[in-house]
Amino acid sequence: MKRILGVALGILTAIGGFVDIGDLVTNAVVGSRFGMSLVWVVAVGVVGICLFANMSGRVAAASGRATFEVIRERLGPRAGLANLSASFLINLMTVTAEIGGVALALQLASSVHYLLWIPVAALAVWLVVWRVKFSIMENVTGLLGLTLIVFAVALFLLKPDWGNLAGQALAPAVPDEETASSYWYYAIALFGAAMTPYEVFFFSSGAVEEGWSIKDLIQSRINVLVGFPLGGVLSVAIAGCAAVVLLPAGIAVTSLSQVILPVAEGAGKLGLAFVLIGLVAATFGAALETTLSSGYTLAQFFGWSWGKFRRPAQAARFHLSMIITLLIGIAVLSTGVDPVLITEYSVVFSAIALPLTYLPILIVANDPQYMGKHVNGRPVNVLAMIYLVIILAASLAAIPLMIVTGAGS
Amino acid sequence: METRPGNTRTSKRTLLLAVCFAGTAFLTGCGGVTDTVSTAVEDSASAIATARLALGQESAGKLTTAAAATALEDSLRELQTSRDSVVRLSPSTPEDRQVRQEALAVLEGCTAGLNTARDSVAGNDGAPSAEDGKQALDEAAGRLSELKTKVGAQ
Repeated sequence: MKRILGVALGILTAIGGFVDIGDLVTNAVVGSRFGMSLVWVVAVGVVGICLFANMSGRVAAASGRATFEVIRERLGPRAGLANLSASFLINLMTVTAEIGGVALALQLASSVHYLLWIPVAALAVWLVVWRVKFSIMENVTGLLGLTLIVFAVALFLLKPDWGNLAGQALAPAVPDEETASSYWYYAIALFGAAMTPYEVFFFSSGAVEEGWSIKDLIQSRINVLVGFPLGGVLSVAIAGCAAVVLLPAGIAVTSLSQVILPVAEGAGKLGLAFVLIGLVAATFGAALETTLSSGYTLAQFFGWSWGKFRRPAQAARFHLSMIITLLIGIAVLSTGVDPVLITEYSVVFSAIALPLTYLPILIVANDPQYMGKHVNGRPVNVLAMIYLVIILAASLAAIPLMIVTGAGS
Repeated sequence: METRPGNTRTSKRTLLLAVCFAGTAFLTGCGGVTDTVSTAVEDSASAIATARLALGQESAGKLTTAAAATALEDSLRELQTSRDSVVRLSPSTPEDRQVRQEALAVLEGCTAGLNTARDSVAGNDGAPSAEDGKQALDEAAGRLSELKTKVGAQ
């Protein structure tokens, strides 16, 4: 019984923890401009993140060490540094976007300007990272993030033309008002949002934090293979709400306040209460994960003592690097730069950096020295190779499309 | 004198960078007065539509005052960004100057309408009513629609 509850809790937190500011904003932007015609990208992204998160969880369980630590050792400092540079910079952008997201969500609830909420949000992130147990932190934010299911509920309450929505999703086409280059630019952004590198590093480091061993592999596989796809359904519901309410009204999403309007339209103030809790939980949870991921990647590269399972004094540089990350995030946001804009850029830059993140994981997951008999099977490798081609194509096309479309505007 | 391979590689890199830079400058720089005004009008229309939806939901009791006020504030910011992009234009022909002037007049009217709507949500003493706010936004949407047709026809 305890095991079943553990599995259920793992799945629920995986669903609730799947959506972050990148998914919220990108799916709403895409829904409001392209309807459901980019849903296929969410499906491709979800399969990809399942594939590589599962692989990196297996690396952690089989070797007893986090993926980044093994990459540094297996591929040497130069390849490790390339991986670190790309991952850390994207992570820094994502931390900034998530803290901005928490502040924007709190503004929606209170009407107090988001700039005043930024130090509060960052302080709360630091306190939780410093004081709260890993499992409590993960479960509470993941479960509260589940309230974002209200997007799916609102979509039903809006009584859309399901045939039309399904038609847009199953026979994707570029809308008349949009260009093909914008369509592909947002396809890459959506792919980057679903496959954000920090999720994989957090997942494998979390496995070490929670002391996973080979016998925990089944539970981790269920969490990933059931939780992440259901999280993907939430992403589709966000796009669906925007496609039903915002697209016909001629509203192209540029702010978080627009993302919640379809929920209010369908589910009223009760729905609004749920969505606000969900927004704060999802962005706060992701802010914790990205802050920790910054500490994890730096500490694992430089060989510092790391982990929340250690007292802060025993992992001082790990905690100091997270504090510095948060301070940089605060400094960037204090300039008044729009957090939604940072989010839009962070998901595209994620896509650009994907090969540097996922190729090393694939190499390590095929090394019997670390993996023993748990190396990748042939079907996993074939699928991973297909994904590497997709990832490389997305990475190479991202900057030219960004220039041609004026960052999708 | 024979060119060293290192120098050849460096000059190729420089050439590639120059081509990339020129391409970027060309792609980001292209688009005249009509294009900029057209984009500004579309973005402003989206901002006004957001404000109308938020105001309607607040009046219907579906949206809290805090969320409606934030949505209106964000719409106002979007509108000001669009207006700034038109202000920065330096038209060289009388026709372009005329387009810019008309666009600025409409966008300023929209800003005034959005301010009325925002004040109506704030609900302070002497503030306009929700009906006044709705009417101001309807007028702004109408003016933007006319401008959109006019700019689109050019």
